[in-house]
Amino acid sequence: MSAAGLERSRREVVGLGIAAGATALAASTAAPLLTVSDAFAQADDDASIVEAAIGLEQQAVLAYTAAAKGDKLGRGSGRLFARQEQEHADVLIAALKDLGGTAPERPSNPREIPGLAEAAAGSQDDFARFAIEFETATVQAYYEATARLKDPKLLSAAVSIMANEAQHLVVLRQAIGQNPSPHAFVTGQGE
Amino acid sequence: MANDLDPWLPGGHGHPGGHKRRDFLRLAGVTTVASAATIFAACGSDDGESAKTTTSEAAREGDATVLNAVLDLEYLAIAAYTAGAPLLKGDMLRLSREFLGQERQHAAALERAITRLGGTANKAKSETEYRRGFPRLRTQDDVLRFALDLEQTAIAAYAGAIPKLSARELRQSATAINANEAEHVSVLLGALGKPQVPAAFVTGTRS
Repeated sequence: MSAAGLERSRREVVGLGIAAGATALAASTAAPLLTVSDAFAQADDDASIVEAAIGLEQQAVLAYTAAAKGDKLGRGSGRLFARQEQEHADVLIAALKDLGGTAPERPSNPREIPGLAEAAAGSQDDFARFAIEFETATVQAYYEATARLKDPKLLSAAVSIMANEAQHLVVLRQAIGQNPSPHAFVTGQGE
Repeated sequence: MANDLDPWLPGGHGHPGGHKRRDFLRLAGVTTVASAATIFAACGSDDGESAKTTTSEAAREGDATVLNAVLDLEYLAIAAYTAGAPLLKGDMLRLSREFLGQERQHAAALERAITRLGGTANKAKSETEYRRGFPRLRTQDDVLRFALDLEQTAIAAYAGAIPKLSARELRQSATAINANEAEHVSVLLGALGKPQVPAAFVTGTRS
């Protein structure tokens, strides 16, 4: 997949996460073109932010489950990452229930996530590049969320999840020979 | 150091390895981040305009105190990567030089932020003072294990500090640094032949 194609997929993936995750944003026809940053800027309360984050985590579970089935990430990383993304989703769903919200429906078809089916059908490198884009977008989402979350406990959870996504990026970058830690400040922006 | 994690977050209570961590914190000269929480707690009332102004000033002072605590740990990491470099080879030498550069960037950013808040940034101790408190480093693995401990300690400190910062841009900057330290941990774990992403929630707990 070309760099432009990956960036397009990233925007589309992010847009889908917004549509799946945030009720207020789902109505927007412009959602597929929004960046994660836009999404969290528009989510004006903790529940909306958590709901959007659940959407992204559920997509990540689906993506890594597809990777594990196709052995697209070595040494069991696909299964491990899918399990960790599910742990994030579970914690966020519990938090959303505490806030009186309802978790968004889980995506079940890889075709619901732009770029995933192609990446899953490609080489290990193709999948790693797709996953790097996805994880980078997720890191950006959490980075934005840390400025907006009001509940300190939710903030702590977001910080610890974002650090885990950054660790996934290390493994993915190393898998394709990239610098595992290229930036002193990990924001998901301009990477 | 307390971490104040959400009760529904797995493994959110307590930190194994606390003894070693306390040693590092002493070595770094860290005044605990928890003390900053006390400052915030003491200025929680904001009835009336003058009280709001007072809260804002106290919040800035509190933010500077929190940032100084993590700055001390950045200085410690800089000293450790500097001391360990002669024992490293190949990829790990190259990566540790990058990590050292990144820790320096963190320290510089924290110093600037503290100054902007009207505070005084702590100064680093001399290299000799730091080295006096370091464990004996004889091999590459010694250096990697020591660096891993320091990075985990820093993550625990940032995790405790971030919710206590009142300014949202400071919370974001600290989060961006915390994620970079988490990356360092994954690289170091891999170099030591350990699982690189051992936990879904990265809190600085020993893996």
